Amino acid sequence: MAVYERTWRRYDGPLTRLDLRFLVITRYALREAFSSRLFTAFYALCALPTLAGVFLVYLSHNSGLLSRLGATQEVLSALTMTYLGVYMFIYQAVPAFFVAVVVSPTLIAADVSDNGLPLYLCRPIDRRDYVLGKVGVLALLLSPVTWVGGLLVYALQALMEGHGWWLDNLRIPLAYLVGHAAWITAVSLLSLAISAWARFKPAARSGLVGIFLISSGMSAALKLSIHSPWIDLVSPIKVISTIVAHLFGASAPGGIPAWAAWLSLGAVTGFSLLLIHFKLRAHEVVR
Amino acid sequence: MTSSAAVIELDGLSVSLGGRPILSDLRTSLTGRAIGLLGPNGAGKTTLLRTLLGFYPASAGTARVLGHDLNGSSKAIRALIGYMPESDAHIAGLTAVRFVRLMGELSGLPADLALERAHDALFYVGLGEARYRRLGTFSTGMKQKVKLAQALVHGPPLLFLDEPTNGLDPPARKRMLELVCEIRDQGETQIVLSSHLLHDVELVCDEVMILKQGRVAERCDLERERLANRSFVELELLRPSEAFAAAAAELGCEMALIDGTRMKLVLPDAVGVRDLYLLADRHGVGFRRLDCKRDSLQDIFLRAMEAPSGGV
Repeated sequence: MAVYERTWRRYDGPLTRLDLRFLVITRYALREAFSSRLFTAFYALCALPTLAGVFLVYLSHNSGLLSRLGATQEVLSALTMTYLGVYMFIYQAVPAFFVAVVVSPTLIAADVSDNGLPLYLCRPIDRRDYVLGKVGVLALLLSPVTWVGGLLVYALQALMEGHGWWLDNLRIPLAYLVGHAAWITAVSLLSLAISAWARFKPAARSGLVGIFLISSGMSAALKLSIHSPWIDLVSPIKVISTIVAHLFGASAPGGIPAWAAWLSLGAVTGFSLLLIHFKLRAHEVVR
Repeated sequence: MTSSAAVIELDGLSVSLGGRPILSDLRTSLTGRAIGLLGPNGAGKTTLLRTLLGFYPASAGTARVLGHDLNGSSKAIRALIGYMPESDAHIAGLTAVRFVRLMGELSGLPADLALERAHDALFYVGLGEARYRRLGTFSTGMKQKVKLAQALVHGPPLLFLDEPTNGLDPPARKRMLELVCEIRDQGETQIVLSSHLLHDVELVCDEVMILKQGRVAERCDLERERLANRSFVELELLRPSEAFAAAAAELGCEMALIDGTRMKLVLPDAVGVRDLYLLADRHGVGFRRLDCKRDSLQDIFLRAMEAPSGGV
């Protein structure tokens, strides 16, 4: 229709695939996120732990540079393994959490506060598609700075080492994949649930940070009076640390068993899904 | 499709929200090109539209929209509908064109076509010059127009317009109604207009369903009503007279009492104004005023409101 005609016409042309329609939400939200230069800069910084890993792998296999620095290959190799084995995971997970803190409130809180949900849900998409689209944004944002980076460094190290190193250390990529997938799922759903309930972006952001800080503080305070390792289940930081240690085969820092930590993470994920289920409706019913 | 003619078929549809029945046993078939949902505030007009969109579950019965059953074909129904909600609804961070494009893509338009049609739709509703402005900066009238644009962008065969003139000043209201009439007259899209404003419905619609306390109080074909040219009399007595009212009813007049002295009468073919004068003389009442006029939506509405609840 030409603009000058100013007439109305129906559309009977081809339509895009219904099962992939949720990706439209993901695409628009990603573009919105990267429209902020500040966020783009912050996101670039989130790649630093991975880049540090790449640098360590490179350094530990560059004998010329090592001798100039006065370091031995054994020391650097051990350092690289330690870094790749646990620390890089944590260094990746923390900024990933803050990426979720920055982005997630813009995903749902804005739609809820401006009553935008009916506009989405009056189209041939349902609440599942909507949530999938929004979770997809966080998954696409967090993956490159977490498990993709981890696998990249692992692949580089395997390439440099050769001689079946990759097979001997198969636990590492599995830990990155499973651990970060669980972390991304839990953080994404929790942050979306909070932003759906908080309605306003600042409230949603502080809510997410608050839950982590307050629950960790509460756990520490409770431990002073109740000397039970199960108190650690309240602390998300302790839970994640236990899961990471379990995945990498290291000794757990807290007293809780790995299964309990996994169960706790699963409970948070399930609870977040419930919150999203109850809150994300085209229209609220006032009782 | 069960019936190619019916736009909406309600088959015992009931909806309860928060434990309260909002719609009760709605049964009717609406076939008009432009259908009006009329009723006082709280009658259930918006709830009906939202139920047809799948926002609220039916507690009993079902409905069919363009032949698709509500139970199990909710997505298919929504694919055929463009919905303009009653309340303020937008996504504040987006520009108008980006917002309308997003809505088009969610309805299934390919990205490039969605962009083209978003521009077209915004020009069509009169927001061409404002299409790169963020929605958060729009006035109420502009927000109403952008809501219409997002309902139109994917070229649906059916439009649900929920109080489209809400919050508009007279010129903006006139323009909005002109737009809706234009869409109707092009004949490619059927319209369901929900409003409590009789004038809006009378101007746009050719069929009306009047809701009262969640039930169908009246359903009428406005076109047929207009053509029927039935005799209507608006009467004001000098003093209230129940005997006169009863006698008029006995004559076969349909009647709506406005208050003790004022009433509206529909005269059957065999009864003329002279008969009313004779009746008044017999009962010793005088007329302060007697106007002969054609039936209007207002009369139909008042009659429906005064009738006991129970549905048609």
